[in-house]
Amino acid sequence: MSLDDYRVLFLVATLVLALVAASPALGVVVPFDGGSERFSELWLLGANHMAQDYPYNVVEGEEYTVFVGVGNHMGNSEYYMVCVKFCNSTVSFLDIDGGVPSGLSPLMEYRFFVGDGMVWESAVSFGFRNVVIDGDVLSVGGVVVGGVVFPVDAVAVWDSEAGGFIFRLFFELWRYDVESQVFGFDGRVVGLRLDMTA
Amino acid sequence: MERRFEDGCDVMGLWLKFLVVSVFLFSLVSVSVPWVSAVNGDVISLEVAEAEEALVSAYDAVLEAEKAGADVSGLLDKLNLGGDYLAEAVVSVRLGDSESAARLAGLCVEAVDGVEGEAVLLRDEAVRFERADFLVRVVGSAVGVVIVVVGGFVLWTVFRRRYLEKVLGSRPEVVSDES
Repeated sequence: MSLDDYRVLFLVATLVLALVAASPALGVVVPFDGGSERFSELWLLGANHMAQDYPYNVVEGEEYTVFVGVGNHMGNSEYYMVCVKFCNSTVSFLDIDGGVPSGLSPLMEYRFFVGDGMVWESAVSFGFRNVVIDGDVLSVGGVVVGGVVFPVDAVAVWDSEAGGFIFRLFFELWRYDVESQVFGFDGRVVGLRLDMTA
Repeated sequence: MERRFEDGCDVMGLWLKFLVVSVFLFSLVSVSVPWVSAVNGDVISLEVAEAEEALVSAYDAVLEAEKAGADVSGLLDKLNLGGDYLAEAVVSVRLGDSESAARLAGLCVEAVDGVEGEAVLLRDEAVRFERADFLVRVVGSAVGVVIVVVGGFVLWTVFRRRYLEKVLGSRPEVVSDES
């Protein structure tokens, strides 16, 4: 190697070492986002705290339990609201999946704050009251969520395809937007399909 | 004929008075019970709206503290307690239980009372720490860079001298032929 080659080698080595020495200050000046996607997650687990054994055949007077959870990967603490809604099977989940929340009024709601990278989870018990079958029509007069009875007027017609009276209990995730200072639908919904035939 | 017309006017006057009194009473009731309209269409009481305002205000302060680098996990616990009360208050309103709603809204305000102040303190502390940390990092980096550059220059000088000595020392001497 010639002296000029050695000179270049020394310059490069010095530059690299200088960058390493300057990295603590560069870390403050240059933001390293890591490029990770920011999102919130919403999940629903069965009574055994696993993604199985979800209630399906339900009857009046019984109490059922599921676990609803929310994970925050938004990069900072977030203020969430989970709305519990109930409807018959004629309300399509496609509208909800399209980023539009259901127009139904919520029964119960949960409001909570989750730090970045943290999760929130709660057991949600539910049941039904005043279930009346009249021919091929079944009406539900009350839904119990977390021990609170909510009067409803939900009616389902016998679904010959599914072979039952089908209802839906679902959970919508809403997130507080600091800029607009209102809750906005986060586009995430989890739900249960319930047959009240039994 | 005239008598019948007068009777008709009396009845009309009575109805008018009844209407005016009814409108007045209705206005009085709607003014005396404070209600506000929420975003999702629910009508909520003023107490619940105030509790929501207190919770959101505290959250804003906590968020600022967090952005400044403070550990806000303790404050989030307090906010969560307030959130629980507020959710219950909203549900109570939905069920028509305004008494419980007002009580729960009050509990929400109590739960988040002082959170804003604590968040501001934490934020200020975090800002001070960040400034000191920044100074240490910049000074440390500057010293490090100077050491590397000076050290590199010294090493290069030493290396160059030895290299030249070695190369020049190994060269065959040029002997002049004078004969």
